[in-house]
Amino acid sequence: MLTELEKKIISLIQGDIAITQRPYLEIAENLGIPEEALLDTLKDLCKRGVIRRFGATIRHQKSGFKANAMTAWKVDEDRVDEVGKKMASFKEVSHCYRRNPSDEWPYNLYTMIHARDEELCRETARTMSEAASVDTYKLLFSRRELKKTSMKYFPTS
Amino acid sequence: MPSMDDTDRTIMNRIQSDFPITSRPYLAIADDLGLSEKEIIKRLARLKESKIIRRIGGNFVPEKLGFVSTLCAAKVEENKIDRFASIVNRYHGVTHNYQRDSEFNIWFTFIAPSMEEIEKNLENISQETGIKKILNLPATKVYKIKAHFDL
Repeated sequence: MLTELEKKIISLIQGDIAITQRPYLEIAENLGIPEEALLDTLKDLCKRGVIRRFGATIRHQKSGFKANAMTAWKVDEDRVDEVGKKMASFKEVSHCYRRNPSDEWPYNLYTMIHARDEELCRETARTMSEAASVDTYKLLFSRRELKKTSMKYFPTS
Repeated sequence: MPSMDDTDRTIMNRIQSDFPITSRPYLAIADDLGLSEKEIIKRLARLKESKIIRRIGGNFVPEKLGFVSTLCAAKVEENKIDRFASIVNRYHGVTHNYQRDSEFNIWFTFIAPSMEEIEKNLENISQETGIKKILNLPATKVYKIKAHFDL
């Protein structure tokens, strides 16, 4: 599990690292620890897989990936691993998950497809559908962003 | 739209998934790419300013921090969407919320210390908004999470 110091460090690096010469020094001073100790802890959190990715997050809409379609697929349960892996191999796919289906929503595999426009998203979905032999699927384009933030773990205030 | 040149793209590709954890990270990037630290800082500040970069920092696996996460979907009539969204968005564990074109038209992610807490929150949301149909769809298997885009 996490130590109290690790939680404090996480609460500070879940925000935004400063674009200055010594961004980590600033954070370490905030915590009252040596910069070296902060760097070691961060590397350790990466190694343990607690930090999945450490880096810059881009706004797709501003970077040329204007369209995204959450695509829900109805896959035979005994093929879901095979299909999930195949779909994950597409470079246009950023996320691929299995989720339980329900009576009113029978889909059990979800992919997030990114492309320059909606038609290209549709085209990619068609290609995926043929490649994985899955005919029943639905593209859900986002019409409006109602909220987009990062999770605030272990808030200090 | 603010533009990126080839150098911007090279820098962005370098730092999306592997930002240096070292005393002077921008100097490390500069050395890698044969640029100056000053140039890297200037360009990144501009990319941040023009909102191409949302943020630079850590992204976590909720489960490794003792949290659970899920995707929820609701059927909400058009004229009730704004109110529903404002109530759902009050929860700080709701990090993403989109209106999508489908019978289930509101899709949001929920992170919390336990699934019981999420279920309780969903019940409260149902009661407060009168929206009965909210699906709770936690991932049972992850085949891919990627947040690196070749620019």
